[in-house]
Amino acid sequence: MLSRRLAVAALTLLASSGVALAHGPTRQKVVEKIAIDAPADAVWAQVKNFDALAKWHPAVAESLADKGNAEGSVRQIKLKGGGALTETLERYNEAGKSYTYRAKDGGALPVTNYTSTITVSGEGAKSTVEWRGAFYRGFPNNDPPPDQNDEAAVKAITGVYQAGLANLKKLAEKK
Amino acid sequence: MPSLPVTALLLLLALPAAALAAPFAYITNQADHTVTVIDLATDQPVATVPVDKSPAGVVAVSAAGKVFVTAPDSNAVSVIDMKTRRTVATLPAGQGAVGIDAAPDGQRVYVADWFGQHLLGFDTGTHAEVLRVKLGRAPAGVAVSPDGRHVYVAERDDNVVAVVDVAAAAVVARVPTGEHPFALLVDGPRRRLYALNVYSDDLSVIDIRDPARPQRAGTVKVGKAPYGAALAAGGKRLYVTNQRDDSVSVVDPDTLALVQTLRGFGYPEGIASVGDRVLVVNWMDENVSVLDARTGRELKRVDTGRNPRGFGAFIGAPGSR
Repeated sequence: MLSRRLAVAALTLLASSGVALAHGPTRQKVVEKIAIDAPADAVWAQVKNFDALAKWHPAVAESLADKGNAEGSVRQIKLKGGGALTETLERYNEAGKSYTYRAKDGGALPVTNYTSTITVSGEGAKSTVEWRGAFYRGFPNNDPPPDQNDEAAVKAITGVYQAGLANLKKLAEKK
Repeated sequence: MPSLPVTALLLLLALPAAALAAPFAYITNQADHTVTVIDLATDQPVATVPVDKSPAGVVAVSAAGKVFVTAPDSNAVSVIDMKTRRTVATLPAGQGAVGIDAAPDGQRVYVADWFGQHLLGFDTGTHAEVLRVKLGRAPAGVAVSPDGRHVYVAERDDNVVAVVDVAAAAVVARVPTGEHPFALLVDGPRRRLYALNVYSDDLSVIDIRDPARPQRAGTVKVGKAPYGAALAAGGKRLYVTNQRDDSVSVVDPDTLALVQTLRGFGYPEGIASVGDRVLVVNWMDENVSVLDARTGRELKRVDTGRNPRGFGAFIGAPGSR
């Protein structure tokens, strides 16, 4: 009886503290760029296929896409370290050497509502690849655990982009 | 008897002053907890004003000489004095204020309290809370009817717009929209309300000829995740930012046809118009695009703080009170 009353009191406390606390998460972003000593066309050729991620990202084991580079194509990513991601191609711009995709919530990254764009630009023998993403942290409410807070989300996405871009540079500059 | 000509003279004096007052843009920087003030005579940032936490929504109320900014992480609305460019008050505003708009006469602002599910009204002079009305789920964008008697609120998670009767302090009607309506914009001359539906990538055109009984009048397809809208070019163009498409749709409000899709923005969010220009806030790029309202051509970019939102009518002129 006592424990039940205590439980109710605890629940009430939880509920009221939840109400008293502020707004949920705010949207975060990561923008990473890398300069590559290779023409933009050549770099784009390596990343342009939505299902080619496994060929240039060192953390990705598989990246099969069901409709190639058509908007709406869904790629199933398996990571080498375990874990999976499902991403849908939202926008594909061959002329602008750019594509945008959106991840399904609940994947291996501690983020939600995650969209990402990769763009290759350049002049002559040099190019720049920009990879950017917008997302919310994994934990939707206040007081997130450390592995699902804003910092964890930014760190994870930064890691994905930096590792991918570094390896892409290595591949593209290899003769 | 002599009061009439005097009044007329005063009106005459007041009108050109209002028309000539130099406008400024007030852009909320969510990651910096500041507002960037841009002088639109020179398109230069002229001040950075510290406000409460994670500012998102904004309305510049020229008639009151103040800018009201929602700061959801402080559960507050920050009040900026347009002349001194300082935060002069912090108003407690529920549990996560987001959308905000002002009455046409500038005497009140209305704020949507996202988690507390209320519409709150504040007097722009005394800052007293003057209205509190219970709402549905995730109230987001706010827009006031041209006569000031009704306030429309997007209840995002209910896929409706609620109509609040200000005098009755009650919701008197609800009209269905597309999926996840977020921003709202009133088109006074056409007596319409536009609701921007973030999930269905379109905007709902709502007839408000009877402001208390809105009717769905059409749907316009735009880009992915429409987030902000502004009428420009003397009301002949409706500009809509498409957040997840890095684009801006330009619609002819008379025919509701898509005229143009402008590209090259960075997660565009807030948008507002003044004179022959349109300002688009690029959340990703951390700047504001200044566009020619007639052609859509980008004239310039002006730097802001980090993660700028500018969700609301962010242009005002302090001299036009």
